Amino acid sequence: MTAAIHIRRWFMAPVLFALMGVLLASGGAQGAEEVASAIRRYKEREASTGYYEEYEVLPRRQRPFVEIPGVKRGIFPYSPSAAQVRIRTRLADSHRGIKFYESRRCEACHVRETMDNHTVRANLTCRQCHGGEPIASIDHYYSPLNPIRRHAYVCSKCHEGASASFASYVVHEPVPGATETRTAFPTLYYAYWFMLLLLLGTLVFFIPHSVLTGLRELFGRKRKSE
Amino acid sequence: MMTPTTRIKRFGVIDRVFHLFLILTFLTQTATGFGRLYYTTAWGKRIGALFGGYESSLLVHKWVGIIMLIGFIVHTVFLLFKVDWRRPKASLFGPDSLIPTFRDFVHLGQRIRWFFGLGAAPRIGRWSYWEKFDYWAVYWGMPLLAITGLMLMYPIWTSRWAPGWILNVAALLHRAEAILAAAYIFIVHFFIGHLRPTSFPMNEAMFSGSVPLPEAKEEKPGWVEQMQQQGRLELAAANPPSTMYRVIYFLFGYAALGIGVYLLINGILYSGHIRLH
Repeated sequence: MTAAIHIRRWFMAPVLFALMGVLLASGGAQGAEEVASAIRRYKEREASTGYYEEYEVLPRRQRPFVEIPGVKRGIFPYSPSAAQVRIRTRLADSHRGIKFYESRRCEACHVRETMDNHTVRANLTCRQCHGGEPIASIDHYYSPLNPIRRHAYVCSKCHEGASASFASYVVHEPVPGATETRTAFPTLYYAYWFMLLLLLGTLVFFIPHSVLTGLRELFGRKRKSE
Repeated sequence: MMTPTTRIKRFGVIDRVFHLFLILTFLTQTATGFGRLYYTTAWGKRIGALFGGYESSLLVHKWVGIIMLIGFIVHTVFLLFKVDWRRPKASLFGPDSLIPTFRDFVHLGQRIRWFFGLGAAPRIGRWSYWEKFDYWAVYWGMPLLAITGLMLMYPIWTSRWAPGWILNVAALLHRAEAILAAAYIFIVHFFIGHLRPTSFPMNEAMFSGSVPLPEAKEEKPGWVEQMQQQGRLELAAANPPSTMYRVIYFLFGYAALGIGVYLLINGILYSGHIRLH
């Protein structure tokens, strides 16, 4: 028995060596490409700006489980039902064709968007992130808010060292308890309902429990002193 | 000799220091946190101004949070030393442990019947089920607040190992848990400690460290019985607190109560201006 296992292991050795060789060779090829670049240490630059030399690329060296909302990945990154295709999210001028646009204020239409912490507490104006006229759709190729460069062009103006992952913080938070949020931002939805039910459950149990304790002790005392 | 004026020891010096530490840090965190949470209201601005404004109240909040976290770690180490590791099962699930057992659920059922005069009061041991809930509510709330707080304190670092949108969730959890903790302490814990007839005007056990024997017999008959059986009752006899110490802790306790109730009432009055997230 043991001899057979030994033989099998002996046969495995060259296979493993070959595998390691392939892996090392491919790594070396990537390394050679790096060195050939005119831009030194381009990996860091690429990761932070979304550019490889003059070409635009997706941020590289993504960490597993760190996904970026708005950036679709995979073999077929399109979906026929994806809402963002149908809404104005890929226009150079997102407000194109809106009547009397020049005389309107942002908050006249974007009501909820002016009530988040960045607007209310940090006192940011819309244009400080979305840019001047014409305001591009956030998924337009040249928009500063396009998820491929949002972190470098917008977030890092204040948050030094912001990464693509950091830029996936949802500035305009959806209503956490709404049904739409269950599909748009499920973690927030479930965290909200869990905490709300925990809060209500604790108080709904312990407030009557305390009141009844107080009442029963009061009545018990009276009976004793009588 | 056991007379009606005899007092028995309930909390050691270390327990009382931990409780005092928690009062001071918790009230500071609530005041600085509420000042920021309600910053869009006039009341929130006033509270924030006490700590030097919106930015410096955050600085106080962060430092006191770190002190609280260190206290939590020290307390956990202290707990691990309290457990008798030669007999872990008896020590962890015994009558002197704060770990909830099946008996606590039985006591809860008996107590609900007793509320309506449908049965005898449960013979509660050293720690009642509501005291255990009090303890574990803080014990699970503190790491939740600490972890989400650290995430919000170092957002760039957090987004290196987790997606950035986790900060949305962390902010929601931090806020909601803080509101839950403040509501529970300022309503339920204060009612049990000050307002119910057997405690009114103040339950002194957590400050004096001892309780009168008749009170213990009525409140925690199981505990007194257990000590009698083990022959420890005589050993647990304690001296009454001095008058000066009583005056000091009454003043302190009422100051803490006043601050808590003030934050609670204004928090409820202005609750229309805040959101859970």
